[in-house]
Amino acid sequence: MKPVSLISVASYLPEKIVGNDFFINESGVETHSMFRSTRFRHHIGPDETCCDMAEIALSRLAEKININLQKDVDILITNATLPDIPFVGVGAAIVGALNLNPQFIYDIQSGGCVSFIFMMELARALINSSDAKSALICNFQTAAGRIFALPDNRKLPQSAVPGDGCGVGYIVADDSSPIMSIVTRVHGESAKDMFPIAPDGRKWWEPGFPALNLDFNKSKISLIVARGNKLVPEVLHMAMAKAHIEYKDIGALVTNQPNKIFLRNWRESMLLPEEKQVQTFDEHGNLFGAAIPICFERGVDTGVIKSGDKVLLGGFSHAGDFTAAAVVHWQKNKI
Amino acid sequence: MAKNTDIPNIPDLVRIENVNLDGMQEKCMEMTHAVYPHDKIYGPYCTIEEYINCPPEIIFEYLADCEHLGEWTYSTRDMKKTEKDDIWVFNDAIGGITECYCKTVANKEAMTVDYHCAWDQGDHLWMIYLIRVVPAQLVLNKPGSVVLWTNCHHPFYDNNPFPEKAPKDRDGWVGDAWDMFYAGHTIEMQNLKKILEFRHNRDNAGLTGKETR
Repeated sequence: MKPVSLISVASYLPEKIVGNDFFINESGVETHSMFRSTRFRHHIGPDETCCDMAEIALSRLAEKININLQKDVDILITNATLPDIPFVGVGAAIVGALNLNPQFIYDIQSGGCVSFIFMMELARALINSSDAKSALICNFQTAAGRIFALPDNRKLPQSAVPGDGCGVGYIVADDSSPIMSIVTRVHGESAKDMFPIAPDGRKWWEPGFPALNLDFNKSKISLIVARGNKLVPEVLHMAMAKAHIEYKDIGALVTNQPNKIFLRNWRESMLLPEEKQVQTFDEHGNLFGAAIPICFERGVDTGVIKSGDKVLLGGFSHAGDFTAAAVVHWQKNKI
Repeated sequence: MAKNTDIPNIPDLVRIENVNLDGMQEKCMEMTHAVYPHDKIYGPYCTIEEYINCPPEIIFEYLADCEHLGEWTYSTRDMKKTEKDDIWVFNDAIGGITECYCKTVANKEAMTVDYHCAWDQGDHLWMIYLIRVVPAQLVLNKPGSVVLWTNCHHPFYDNNPFPEKAPKDRDGWVGDAWDMFYAGHTIEMQNLKKILEFRHNRDNAGLTGKETR
């Protein structure tokens, strides 16, 4: 297999910052066990789109590594929690807005909070099976502003936790900042434990009031916690073994950030001190799939992730139906 | 609850009257980790448990006979009765030449067998191995037994209270191995399981252990 490298990450967070009062005033509840409250989160605006976020994040990325987006993107892969337009996906609109010329465009719906790693894997597979040499992978989290901010939903304590944002990564066919391993797994038995739900019981595509929310099977909360505690350390260890690295070799840990407990538990399971974990939970809340690229960039910007570090990425999505992990031997700005 | 209960006066109780379900879930999440340091699990107490495919009555009888420690433990051998009727003395080879005293306190009704032991002297038996045999039919819905075995981290494990009783040339102390108790006792529990299952499979009746010596 040809080596591929993750050579840069960039992000954009919507301008609107929402404090806890926005939710507490409605719900009267200050904490919730599954989703302990964060302090702030960004919300996508009513007229803001994934495509708008992509334009900013991608121009930041292009500037960082001095690439020409029109020429230097052979593959475009996206994952959006709630896309701008159903059916159509996000990729084509981004191509239109930025005049990209990719050979391949994929808008993937799978992978959820670890879709960044799924997209790394897909990019690597495409690069290895075609003459494509570069890939943009883009995560859009839009559900906070679009679903959880709705007046009906603001009353629910779990609505305080999600935050919106966009994180992108650039992958090339060389070994300048190599992806040492990727492991992705599917646990289909958990696929029905997170779902959109309306209090009146209607299907999510049926019109009506009150608003739809995203919820978990309450009777399975303990089970979901146990899955996260078991499956994520397991897949992180698998990615380490595949990359032939040990605990002492981990330069930094970046995972999705569903809540503080999982962040603590996953870090502890990798025997890492807090300073080697990059997370922005207090500031950004649960960024779903965008967490990994956004935190990766944060780690690089703050110096937690240094050139030469082996960065361990991982996490799980939804109620545990996907898990993924990867090791990147990070080298900064080689272009 | 009795009318004149003092429960409301006891601080920091977690009961549904003062901590709601969300609050309880919050506490439980906080306490549930993905991994635990060894010391957190096996520091103050060391409990191991095992399923043994052998009827509980047979296991109880086997454990209640102190002399059988010579079979299933790793290093206790040469059991002899002392002048005190219920106390045995034997050599614990992990201490080289070390006398270990032991009294078995068994309760047939409760199916508990506690070994009250000590190295070097038989006057204060402070190393207490608490064992309970539970019918697996009750707890696992299958024949056989579950054996629970707990040790408590007695302060004497950390400091030998009777150093003058120790053999002159012995370096170690039983408590030096506390951090290995989980491993050591698990291995011994496996010995117990193998012995009892072997004999039970061979012959469901008349197990005494002594006949194989």
